[in-house]
Amino acid sequence: MSEVSRRHFLKLGACVVGGACAADALPSLGQAADNGDVTTLRTTLPYPRLKLAAIGQLTTEHELLTTYPDQASPVVLVKLGRPAHNGVGPDRDIVAFSRRCSHMGGALAFHAETGTFHCPLHYAMFDARKGGLMVIGQATDNLPQIELEVDTTGDIYAVGVKGLLYGRQANVLA
Amino acid sequence: MSSTYHGEDRVPVPPADAQQFTTVCSYCIVGCGYKVYKWPLGKEGGPLPHQNALKADYRRQQPEQAGTWISPAMHSVVTEQDGNKFNIVVLPDKDCVVNKGNHSVRGGTHGDVLYAPDRPTADRLTHPLLYRGQSQLPTTWDEAIELGARVIKASLDKWGPDTIAMKFFDHGGGGGGFENNWAVGKFFFTGIGTKMASIHNRPAYNSEVFASGDAGIAPLPSAYLDAELADTIMVIGANSYETQSIYFLEHMLPSLGGGTLPLKQQLLPGEPHARGRMIIVDPRRTSTVAVAEAHAGKDNVLHLQINNGTDIALLNALSRLIHEQGWHDQEFITRRTENFAAFQAANLAQNLDEAVRLTGISKAQMMTAAEWIAKPKVNTARRRTLFLYEKGLIWGLKNYENVASVVDLALLTGNLGKPGTGCGRLGGHQEGYSRPAYPGQRPPVNVDEIAIKGGASKVFWVAGCNPAGGTLNAQQFRAYLAHRTALVNQALDATSSGSLNDRMTAVMTALDKGGLFLIVQDIYPIETAKYAHIVFPAAQWGEMNLTSINGERRLRLYQQFMDAPGIAEPDWKIMARMAQRVESAYRAEGKVEMAARFSGFTWTSDEEVFRAASAGVKGAQEDYGDTTYAMLKALGTNGVQTPVQEIRQGMPVGTTRLYMDEKQFTFIPSAWPGFPPQIQKLIDDPRYPFWVNNGRANHGWQTLYDDLRKPYVMGRAPFPHVEIHPQDARSLDIANGDLIELFNPYGSVTAMAVITDSNTPGHIFMLFEHPKGWLNSLTTGYVDPATTIPYYKGTKAGIRKLGELPGLGEQLSFIPTNRT
Repeated sequence: MSEVSRRHFLKLGACVVGGACAADALPSLGQAADNGDVTTLRTTLPYPRLKLAAIGQLTTEHELLTTYPDQASPVVLVKLGRPAHNGVGPDRDIVAFSRRCSHMGGALAFHAETGTFHCPLHYAMFDARKGGLMVIGQATDNLPQIELEVDTTGDIYAVGVKGLLYGRQANVLA
Repeated sequence: MSSTYHGEDRVPVPPADAQQFTTVCSYCIVGCGYKVYKWPLGKEGGPLPHQNALKADYRRQQPEQAGTWISPAMHSVVTEQDGNKFNIVVLPDKDCVVNKGNHSVRGGTHGDVLYAPDRPTADRLTHPLLYRGQSQLPTTWDEAIELGARVIKASLDKWGPDTIAMKFFDHGGGGGGFENNWAVGKFFFTGIGTKMASIHNRPAYNSEVFASGDAGIAPLPSAYLDAELADTIMVIGANSYETQSIYFLEHMLPSLGGGTLPLKQQLLPGEPHARGRMIIVDPRRTSTVAVAEAHAGKDNVLHLQINNGTDIALLNALSRLIHEQGWHDQEFITRRTENFAAFQAANLAQNLDEAVRLTGISKAQMMTAAEWIAKPKVNTARRRTLFLYEKGLIWGLKNYENVASVVDLALLTGNLGKPGTGCGRLGGHQEGYSRPAYPGQRPPVNVDEIAIKGGASKVFWVAGCNPAGGTLNAQQFRAYLAHRTALVNQALDATSSGSLNDRMTAVMTALDKGGLFLIVQDIYPIETAKYAHIVFPAAQWGEMNLTSINGERRLRLYQQFMDAPGIAEPDWKIMARMAQRVESAYRAEGKVEMAARFSGFTWTSDEEVFRAASAGVKGAQEDYGDTTYAMLKALGTNGVQTPVQEIRQGMPVGTTRLYMDEKQFTFIPSAWPGFPPQIQKLIDDPRYPFWVNNGRANHGWQTLYDDLRKPYVMGRAPFPHVEIHPQDARSLDIANGDLIELFNPYGSVTAMAVITDSNTPGHIFMLFEHPKGWLNSLTTGYVDPATTIPYYKGTKAGIRKLGELPGLGEQLSFIPTNRT
């Protein structure tokens, strides 16, 4: 695990999670760039394999906020309680998505009762069970989904992103 | 489980020296501004601001609403005619006052619809096609034009101008524009002189708002600024979040949310201001209702969930309540209107109890609406109410009275010619109408019935529209197209080894016996083209320069930035080719007068047609006077709002809002007329228990001609959907995603069920146009006899469950769209 992700993982340990904690856990925009160690590359880099959580940390319908593939990209990990597209874990119900709306980057909120992500800027809505399919809204792509793997010990790893993260020219920063 | 579409995970950035163009969205009336960047494949800009054309720092994660993020759907690689490949990015323009960098799902996916031989747009029409040997085979412009010109001229000479029928685009934006419209009108009206003309979505050649015109109000009198300044915005028959998305998001919502209060105080001092309110008249609880409520609070939004076809009763009841309360604008009525007595006798006679019974709207709700529209803020300040209507009203029960009843309400309350007021269309397409006068009368002839089904016309030229699915009573229309065009096919088949003269003789014999010679001009091989004898390939948006206005009359230049595919040409050039061939044929016969009618098509550039077209807009809301392309190029995506008053110091001076002068208006009496016999018969027949409302949806544009090539959109909408109430779904044992059949005496269609309480029980809503299920197979042939505008929004049907389509229910989302 890289220094960045370990640092962030520790932060999350204290923050597993209801809505109130969500805003605090969202890295401020531009923070990574200000650190001086983040550069968008002109070509696609291999995605890092980063541990996001252990299955035991997840409670059904509660969000776990983290980042991937770097600290400037907030993502949400959630166990939906029902099988989902690209869901992992024994119930195939664990999914993760970018928390930036694929329309104009608004910070998405999760509504557990419908399993949907909602943008406060222009009211886009995405279905967490259906691979981030846009239910309604003005985004030009479905919500970027984080590709997950679970190892034999029940640790959940992020290994890639489907779709382009809002505000980037390429997903992987160096 | 099925996978969900996601685009690429990177995009190339335009280098600092990329070519730059300005344009406007090719789709809806709002007309968001876009910038286009073009640069050779294999080259990319760098992440530092000086290394890329957007001057953005791509080392950083961009903040929300940055206006410099390129989504994969905004990018494409195109191949030009010389074989060179270019990257193209079509990016919403953050400096455009219409959209401020915002975009809809439709406009934001323009990258996906640029022609590319290795992408889903590869099926663009690239060459003229001619019916030959039981198929449609590529040919030259010369052969296709020769045959078409001979058939047209022979029909004109033998049977007269009305044997040539047409159904053409008349709009702005993609495919339309002042340039193409002018050439079309000049050919059909000055040249041929036919009355058998019809407009893309209609059976006749008509305004959709004759009543507004008769009242003295142009269709687009207001500015988007007026939504920001209004006390109340009344939206009638429109789902603006999904169909005028950026007008709604960037101009209406800020007003509802209070974000424009400082602007109101600055521009309208001396009166109290509060956040705006919104009244929405719609039989459905739409996403527009949900979003407005979420943004403004439920207390500031009034949804009048009206029964299908009862708008006139509702609007007249509101007029009556307002008049009874003394909230009408007597000073305005006295000074600027006439015919009040007729309005009083017809509209104000609306019985309120009957209105409640017809509309399903309570008296209390009507009273709230009346207050929000007209109860003065203080003694000295009337409310500023902006009335905006679209297809729900225009394509409602009776077009003329429907539109008249809202126009009258606006006149009664003095809401014209003042900031924050107005009464006009929200709009569908952009506008770009300029043509010589239509030679027919009012009410205009029903071309579908008389010319095509009735056989009065023998040649039918269709361009930029798809009537095989999109016109009213479409199943019958298709049956006539199939039968009549087949007669010509058989004649051509029988002479396939003959000369052009032999084929001409055979065609003319077939036309004499009831055949129909069909020419289709389009960018794609659409359904209507399947029946065609000649198919002309047209250039699209981005492949020619064109000009249009948006819903606040904002005129801009849409620059050409790439080649058309193959030998496709702009519509105006195709019309010119045909006109010049007909002209030379008449000249060869010494028929000077007829030759003269087809003369004047010798333009050599888009701008020459634009300048010629200015003759057709004199005195209209579109009047652009002496404006030139150079001026518009300098004005970029903000352009100028027509009518242009004058050219001052080399630049056009426009008009923000119409009727700030002492313009006079006329009340148009409009009483609720009841249902026509065709509809009443369906109402009385228990086999067709469901009211079938219909309309557009957020993801798709019009017939989905472009969207079929957008994998993201088709992943969401592989079939047309029908919204059905949970109670009705239970009684029919229908689940989300089930394929169902809708049927009535006019036809049948299949669609995918979506269970939602957006409608009341007994009412369903189907997507208006989708090539995998045309709603219009169910619509009746009824049109308002005063305007020849169909009642598209109202028909009735029975429902049969067909069954589940494996995988579909899992692939799609059935979360209701009218939640936030």
